[in-house]
Amino acid sequence: MAKIYQKETNVKNYSKDFLLQFYRTMIKIRRFDEGLIQLIQDGKVSGFYHSGIGSEGLSAGSITHNLTEDDYIYYNHRGCNQKIAKGVPLSKLYGDFLGTIEGTTKGLGAGIVHSADPSRGVMGQAGTIGSQLGICVGTAFASKFKGTDQVTVVYFGDGAASREPLHGSLNWAGLYKLPVVYICENNEYAISSHVSETHSVKEHIADWAEGYGIPNYVVDGNDVVLMHEAMKEAVDRARKGEGPTFIEAKTFRHRGHFEGDPYDYVDANVLKEWKEKRDPIKNFQASLLEAGVCTENEIASIQEQVDVEIEAAIKKAEDAPMPSPERIFEGLFA
Amino acid sequence: MNTISRQESNVKVRTLTMRDAIIEALSEEMERDPSTVLFGEDVGKFGGVFGATKGLHEKFGPRVFDTPIAETTIVAAALGMAITGNVRPIPELQFGDFVGVAFDEVFHKLGKWRWMHGGQMEIPVTLRLPIGIAGGAGPEHSQSPQALFMHGPGLQIVVPSTPYDAKGLLKTAIRENNPVLYFEHKVLYDMKGEVPEGEYLIPLGKADIKREGKDVTIIATALQVHTALDAAKTLAKQGVEAEVIDPRTLAPLDMDTILDSVKKTGRVLIVHEEPKTGGSGAEIAARISEHALFDLLAPIKRIGSPDVPIAQSIYLEQFYRPSEQQILDVVNELMEY
Repeated sequence: MAKIYQKETNVKNYSKDFLLQFYRTMIKIRRFDEGLIQLIQDGKVSGFYHSGIGSEGLSAGSITHNLTEDDYIYYNHRGCNQKIAKGVPLSKLYGDFLGTIEGTTKGLGAGIVHSADPSRGVMGQAGTIGSQLGICVGTAFASKFKGTDQVTVVYFGDGAASREPLHGSLNWAGLYKLPVVYICENNEYAISSHVSETHSVKEHIADWAEGYGIPNYVVDGNDVVLMHEAMKEAVDRARKGEGPTFIEAKTFRHRGHFEGDPYDYVDANVLKEWKEKRDPIKNFQASLLEAGVCTENEIASIQEQVDVEIEAAIKKAEDAPMPSPERIFEGLFA
Repeated sequence: MNTISRQESNVKVRTLTMRDAIIEALSEEMERDPSTVLFGEDVGKFGGVFGATKGLHEKFGPRVFDTPIAETTIVAAALGMAITGNVRPIPELQFGDFVGVAFDEVFHKLGKWRWMHGGQMEIPVTLRLPIGIAGGAGPEHSQSPQALFMHGPGLQIVVPSTPYDAKGLLKTAIRENNPVLYFEHKVLYDMKGEVPEGEYLIPLGKADIKREGKDVTIIATALQVHTALDAAKTLAKQGVEAEVIDPRTLAPLDMDTILDSVKKTGRVLIVHEEPKTGGSGAEIAARISEHALFDLLAPIKRIGSPDVPIAQSIYLEQFYRPSEQQILDVVNELMEY
């Protein structure tokens, strides 16, 4: 059975700058999300958005200090979290939602899915949830073939984990010892279905990896530092040519599957518990202040800087024009 | 006409099977471009169940490798390799029918990944798919699914009928920075034809007039090109000159060559081994009627296999494949107009 990843992670063991980068990334993700929800409420963007609020620690922890621009990621259905952590400009993400030419798709529009930034290793995502699991082994193969130490990280939810491509993917990655890190963002729900209703497991989804001989563990995805440490081991293993790792990161979404989802299928007390006691940002902020890493003023200053950045990004994206109708005929072939 | 082999008399011409022409194309391109990799089920040390990759593993080592039985992952991985810009994959599906297992990967991903993501990546993937009725293989190992993909934007579809075309088109496909589905009819693997020595390429989107004629246009693909040519010989004895056109690629489709011929003959028969309903002939017929209706002297005719699954029985199988007699009957009907 998959081990629960545990490690002493006293914030005092890390530099202030190192920790504040986590904090800034998480705040950026949350504020971006809130800005987008406002655009949806203003009727400027459709409600086909899957909010990542409540799971920022998982993306910031895995990406911020472990991956470089040369490493590849395939993000998941709440993937703005990962794209932001990987450095995709916020105006470009907003541009995709708004359908202006500022977007990464230059006006074709994209929801969470289909924005891409290959210059930062963000290789896109499949609209058929979970299909990125097959694609990622090819990308990892390419790095191994070329002899680089690039790592491919594939993010997917508990829902996507039930799709067939996961098993083809684990078999290849294990067989060919590919530099892939699997991150199953387990927020317990695939739209309305609880993981216990849809997955046959011993105890954890990560247990599946055990059968393929792939190192695996379960980690609290809402503890940004713990997530960083778990990921660091996996990335080191991949860079050294020791093959894939499967991380099941536990989290919970604060909002429904899409904007407008009544989200009445979760137990209100459970949701309250996650929001109040297990919010990744709230808890990390408290530990920074408690350890005296930074002051309330510094926290407020980061938040203000991010707010300014978000406002400018939305303005840039909104100010950009819509594409001409001919845009749909461009770029089908190289 | 196969212009290169006929016009350049100083080029040595050999007789090769289509299988050997394919192996030669793969070998030349893998030698030319060290970023190419070839993979699929049993394509390595075994050389492929149809022998179409024989000797390549010995020559190129780990660049030619066997995979698990996992069509979904084979195609998905090819895409994931290609978009890095570091690998030019040449995957094989053991039987073209198995494309059903990888439908999402072919239809949604290979063809659309570049466009969906704003045109930021290139997809140099050549997916080889053996097709066709070939000796009692049954309903899921005998089909010709190429027409399905004419409905899928972003995919180029190659269907060679001769060793010469097979080699020149495959080399072009591999050098393409866009996905190509390359359908090989299994009966044609052993068919021999002239292949010049040395380098040549055949562009995608250029039909070949396999036989010139003035009375009727027969548009045929894969094995049916040969059935049509046999029928044309018989028709010539009756005083009917059939023009036989092989589109060679269904996407892009060379309608100019087809329409020029239709304008000349006024009579059209489209023959393919795919089921008649929704086959490639349906699209070709529709385009002819859109662009050349008033050049027609007779209704456009199509011959395909029946709209039922392909029986395992070798005895029954022969009745699926369009025959020379069927072609003769339809052409004679067309000549009544």
